[in-house]
Amino acid sequence: MLFLLFGGSALVTGITMVLFPNPVRSALFLVLNLFCVAVLYLLLNAYFLATVQVIVYAGAIMVLFLFVIMLLNLGTPDRSLDKLRWQQPAAVGIAVVLAALFGAVIYQSVPAGPPASAMMVEAPTLYAPRAEPNPMLTNQISDPNQLRAITPDTMGTVTGIGQSLYNPGEAWLFPFEATSILLLIAVIGSVVLAKRRLPGEDASAAGEREGGTG
Amino acid sequence: MPGQTNSLLNSYIPVLCMGLMALFLVVVFVGLSRILGPQRPTPQKLAPYECGVTPIGSARERFPIKFYLIAMLFIVFDIETVFLYPWAATFRHSGGMMLFNLFEMAVFVGILLVGYVYVWRRGAFEWDN
Amino acid sequence: MNPVAESAAVAAGANPLLPVHGAVPLSWYLILSAMLFMIGVVGVLVKRNPIVIFMSIELMLNAVNLSFIAFGRYLGNVGGQMFAIFVMAVAAAEVAVGLGILISIFRSRENINVDEINVMKG
Repeated sequence: MLFLLFGGSALVTGITMVLFPNPVRSALFLVLNLFCVAVLYLLLNAYFLATVQVIVYAGAIMVLFLFVIMLLNLGTPDRSLDKLRWQQPAAVGIAVVLAALFGAVIYQSVPAGPPASAMMVEAPTLYAPRAEPNPMLTNQISDPNQLRAITPDTMGTVTGIGQSLYNPGEAWLFPFEATSILLLIAVIGSVVLAKRRLPGEDASAAGEREGGTG
Repeated sequence: MPGQTNSLLNSYIPVLCMGLMALFLVVVFVGLSRILGPQRPTPQKLAPYECGVTPIGSARERFPIKFYLIAMLFIVFDIETVFLYPWAATFRHSGGMMLFNLFEMAVFVGILLVGYVYVWRRGAFEWDN
Repeated sequence: MNPVAESAAVAAGANPLLPVHGAVPLSWYLILSAMLFMIGVVGVLVKRNPIVIFMSIELMLNAVNLSFIAFGRYLGNVGGQMFAIFVMAVAAAEVAVGLGILISIFRSRENINVDEINVMKG
């Protein structure tokens, strides 16, 4: 039921995001959409990712979007300027074709197995009763090897993510370090782009826009 | 299955309750003020300051670009924290892998530190320069 | 939704792909993800405002993340969530640089309508 509720509202907010002509409203509906998807992550036992979704996407990325919308001071666009009148029906047509394609693929390959938790029901620590809290949650583990027992239910917690991400036996070490280089490039690139002074701009105009920096 | 539920997901029930309560309060307060309050708008009442200075121009002024810079730096170091947090949660239990994990994170933070120093030297942290 | 209910249903011989009490089959998540992706595609194709196009791309990335996590959950593999984390990191970097490029274009042309950005046209 929660899936239907939040999945449905994710769809509705997504559609309204595309339909609103005002970019600020679109951004706010995208925030709602991200919240709904975060709840779906929770339902899929991806606890850490749900938190990250709210903090990074809804918190940071959307703030950047709103800042840029205000920075560029864009109002509602003038639709009469549209040169490509055929573009909207074409887009809807392409979307329908793509939807048919996705539908065919999903229909043909209806998932082959039961949820993993059902297959691993015999694991002793899988469903700890309430009186005996899950050791993954309480951090009161004396034997470090016990931490290695990741189950589909606990792999989404912070410790579960950390154990897989920083386990040298798994393949995530190189992507992790590559991410740092990617972030470094993003920092340098956007600082260069934002602090550059264009040849056409005189110092006063640039100072007004950049607040006199640079 | 009574008495045997997924305790991890159940711990989010208070969050759900809080969200519902917030939604309820918003709907009730806005709705009640719509229904109960008299609405006779005049141009003076609709002005931003009903009895104050007259507004000059639109409120939609263009933002200075430094806001973008700050938000962008925030995002990048936010992502760094996202990676740092699971590392911190598991570091104590990593046993023989402790030194390796420390080195791993040192490389990550070190690479990002290069960007930090660059941004600092370019003066992107200075608000009014 | 509730793994205990799922496993109990499976043990009782019920088909795990059908929506038994409390359990959502994987295909529902995939269908939802595909629909969200489609909304993003329509947004990219229809919108004139590059910022809204960026937001539609974010929507598509989220749809893909959702199917990653759903697959990871149903296959019992942590890889899905790892992929989702890295997709988020890449999305953040992409947004930072992309919006920087937009600001740069706006400062040189005072107009960011996508129809008019054709300086790279041969």
